[in-house]
Amino acid sequence: MEIRYQRHIQLKEIGIEGQKKIRNSKVLVVGAGGLGCPAMQYLTASGIGTLGIIDPDVVTLTNLQRQILFKEKDLGRNKAQSAKKHLQKLNTEVTIQAFPFALTHENAAEIIGEFDLVIDGTDNFYTRYLISDQCVLLNKVMIYGALFKFEGQVAVFNYKNGPTYRCLFPLPPKIGEIPNCSEIGVLGVVPGIIGVYQATEALKVMLELGGILSGKLLTVNLLTHRNTVLDFDKNQQEIDKIKKQGKPIPIENQDCFLNFEVSLTQLSSKEKIKWIDVREEDELPRVTHLNPINYSTALDTLLESNKKIVAFCQTGMRSKIFVQKLKNKGIENCFSLKEGAAELKKWSQKSQV
Amino acid sequence: MIIKVRYFGQLQEVTGKSEEHFELTLDTTASLRRFLKTLYPKLGTMNFKIAQDNKITSDSSPLKGQLIDLLPPFSGG
Repeated sequence: MEIRYQRHIQLKEIGIEGQKKIRNSKVLVVGAGGLGCPAMQYLTASGIGTLGIIDPDVVTLTNLQRQILFKEKDLGRNKAQSAKKHLQKLNTEVTIQAFPFALTHENAAEIIGEFDLVIDGTDNFYTRYLISDQCVLLNKVMIYGALFKFEGQVAVFNYKNGPTYRCLFPLPPKIGEIPNCSEIGVLGVVPGIIGVYQATEALKVMLELGGILSGKLLTVNLLTHRNTVLDFDKNQQEIDKIKKQGKPIPIENQDCFLNFEVSLTQLSSKEKIKWIDVREEDELPRVTHLNPINYSTALDTLLESNKKIVAFCQTGMRSKIFVQKLKNKGIENCFSLKEGAAELKKWSQKSQV
Repeated sequence: MIIKVRYFGQLQEVTGKSEEHFELTLDTTASLRRFLKTLYPKLGTMNFKIAQDNKITSDSSPLKGQLIDLLPPFSGG
């Protein structure tokens, strides 16, 4: 350990004791994207003990402009698994766990519970509020980073019972109010810089160094270099609301997080689709000519399928829950039909003509 | 009182400015919020926090800072 981390150990602020603290840390990175990639690279190089990576998405061509951990040959592969593969080569001493599915209200407590601190590398408010609430309930530190074009925000939440994301922004944005996910452009280096800020704060928390951005929001503008640190207070009412509830409170704005719903108007009859009927066998109408498989079919057959999977039921409710379960199992490329079986039957008959 | 107002993130696009100065006398940050929403109706639906002299304050706080920052939450990652 001494040689590999010599430059850390030489710092009187770290020393051998500090490097041991890094070595004993368990960090979960939610979202292996623009923010998550650089943060993970530095944390892995720094020699943390355990790194968890959770991301349901696959690497796409537009990611490569800024998510510099990935290579062209990763295209179409799950981000958490691809990231693990590359990072393990960087440092074989780090235990790396890949979770190739979304962080949800169902699995957040179990997954976050295994780590000491969580790096928020998400691109949506739904997951960000989920992380914040779960960190409050499990007493974990959340390292927040987010960006808009040339600007970024960084803060450390729930550090030694300090303020949380809800203390800063108690009101979640309304649907469509703030563009997110793939809707906005970003200069490739901006998430790189913000993600490295997050890794820096994570290391400072592990090492118990001063100047942590707890109760402080750092705003960075890479275009103008107008950078500021703004103080904000703890809002005990917001924290108590979560504690009283005993579980994270979902926000209304699910923005891009639940974009796995698909409407018939978005589908083409020419597409090769594996249909899944989530209903019981006595529910009508049957849509037999699409050869749907029953929802009880083993997940393995779905995993092997490289076709687009679309689940349907009578109204689009049960199929949504079913698809969420598939996503949690790491099955990609699956969607829930917004319409019910009756509309699907009509659509399929029309497109056969 | 002359105050300097700085806009962050999407608020720069809504106002078309990164910062500007105003000479006005208003009692609270809520009054300032109303004033700005009248000036820029598109701000009306937006969610943002107001900081005075580098401290984020609630809407009921007296307006006494000379440097005002308007901060929307960011989403991208």
